[in-house]
Amino acid sequence: MRKFDPDSMGEKMLRRFAGGTSRRGILARLGVALVAAPVFPLLPVSRAEAAKPDRSPEAKTLFARTAQTTDDTKCNYWRYCAIDGSLCTCCGGGVHTCPPGAEPSPVSWVGTCMNPEDGKAYLIAYRDCCGKAYCAKCDCNNTDRETQLYVPQLNNDVIWCFGTSSMEYHCSTAVLVGAA
Amino acid sequence: MKFAAIGKRSAIVAAAALCCAASVTRADTASVQPEESDVNSLTMPKPSWVYISRGFVMGGTSIYDTATGKLLGQVETPVLADMAIDPAGKFYYVSETYWTKGWRGTRQDMVTFYDTTGLKVQSEVAMPGRILIGGRKNNFILSDDGKTAYIYNLNPASSVNVVDLAKRKFVKNIELPGCASLVPNPGVGFSALCSDGSMATVSTGGSKPDITRSAPFFSATDDPIFDNFAYDKAKKQAVMMTYTGLVYIATMGPKPTISAPFSIQEAAGMRKGDPKPLEISWFPGGGQPLALHRATGHLYVLMHMGEYWTHKAGGSEIWELDLAAKKVVKRVQVEDEPNAIEVTQEAAPKLIVGGTEEVVRILDAKTWEEKFKIEKAGSSPFAVVEAP
Repeated sequence: MRKFDPDSMGEKMLRRFAGGTSRRGILARLGVALVAAPVFPLLPVSRAEAAKPDRSPEAKTLFARTAQTTDDTKCNYWRYCAIDGSLCTCCGGGVHTCPPGAEPSPVSWVGTCMNPEDGKAYLIAYRDCCGKAYCAKCDCNNTDRETQLYVPQLNNDVIWCFGTSSMEYHCSTAVLVGAA
Repeated sequence: MKFAAIGKRSAIVAAAALCCAASVTRADTASVQPEESDVNSLTMPKPSWVYISRGFVMGGTSIYDTATGKLLGQVETPVLADMAIDPAGKFYYVSETYWTKGWRGTRQDMVTFYDTTGLKVQSEVAMPGRILIGGRKNNFILSDDGKTAYIYNLNPASSVNVVDLAKRKFVKNIELPGCASLVPNPGVGFSALCSDGSMATVSTGGSKPDITRSAPFFSATDDPIFDNFAYDKAKKQAVMMTYTGLVYIATMGPKPTISAPFSIQEAAGMRKGDPKPLEISWFPGGGQPLALHRATGHLYVLMHMGEYWTHKAGGSEIWELDLAAKKVVKRVQVEDEPNAIEVTQEAAPKLIVGGTEEVVRILDAKTWEEKFKIEKAGSSPFAVVEAP
């Protein structure tokens, strides 16, 4: 004698379900659910999905559509979407490194730039390197979502050498902070 | 160094020999009068004059006469300084920063007074800090009567210094979180644009400053108002433009009123500026994208074609907008994609455009004829004398 017969149990359950419902009934309930769906809050996962910004070409700025990921001494390097000034990569420093003798500013303006390789947006802190004369090499002036003085953290014209021993501007770096 | 000194001395000897030889040959036709060094002076500022900052690398603000295209003199403005003109015409005020050892040592911020005829330092008033940015017209503004100066400071907390110009005294520092870009507010104090899209108004008369805010009327992050807006003293109005091309007019008072915006593109018979990617529109742009001729209420705007977030791009055209009629009455192509524009307040105004490659052009605003092209003139911002 078989103690456990899943086939038979499954069949019974389905038959009971089929006997208590109709195709029209299911369609009607589904319809109600569809109509009512916007009224109820969605599951957190669904909401996170819905809140994701549009990354299609139609949603990318001109800079994001033409950015590259290989040469950080060029103005169209992807992290530089809102940089203004000399690139420290051309001045003896690196993308997050000040040239010798310069001092990184602890505060900065920020940008949100899209990496064309993974299609994701990242928060970039543009930290000025300070305390040396203006480098004046590889000058860039990119303006994605760059705004005016009353939103200073998004303005790239300010000399951001605050909290450094000298406020002389030398060059700018683009430090990756994290996913936007 | 040594070789250079020898070379210089030889050159002087050679020049002296040439000079004497020339004198000898002309001795019978002109008497030789020994000369003494002297110094030129200027008249009070004239409405045909324009003041051009030489930019981010080189200090100095050059004074040109747009009637002749001639350089008249230079106000001493270090890099990142701001300048304001006394409405009575007696002083140029410079808001500036020095360190005791060049760019290091003890920081000193001050407003320095220069007399307009001799361009000599008359006085200086120390103050606690100022923003270092350059290229902005509204970080150092004067009250309409010319008696008070307001200086914006970012350290990086946001505040405003008040300086009594008549008494040559620092008065106070007023904290103003989240706001910048100052507008004179006659009889009240000053106003400023804020990050929540409102206008703050600071009443400075009482013992404590009273700060009120308008309802938000623009988006400071999606469609910001350009910092370098224009102010009309006679009408007590700030004429402002956003990145997409919306024009707002704020009439100052204890509670400033802000007009419903209109689109400069619609005023030219086309659709509004569209901020969506891949959409090409005409947009205003540049460091100093607009200039107001107060008497006629005509706004001259540097416009370029492109996608959104190109607000620093120079103009390929100048659009002349009649503010009262809300109509673009003229569109004219310009060379070199200038990113700064100003207009003299004369009855027959002249436009000054420039900014890139340090080439400045002076145009007749009626005929649009180019009157002068000045090389190595500096970049921006430009200032003109507003009729008192």
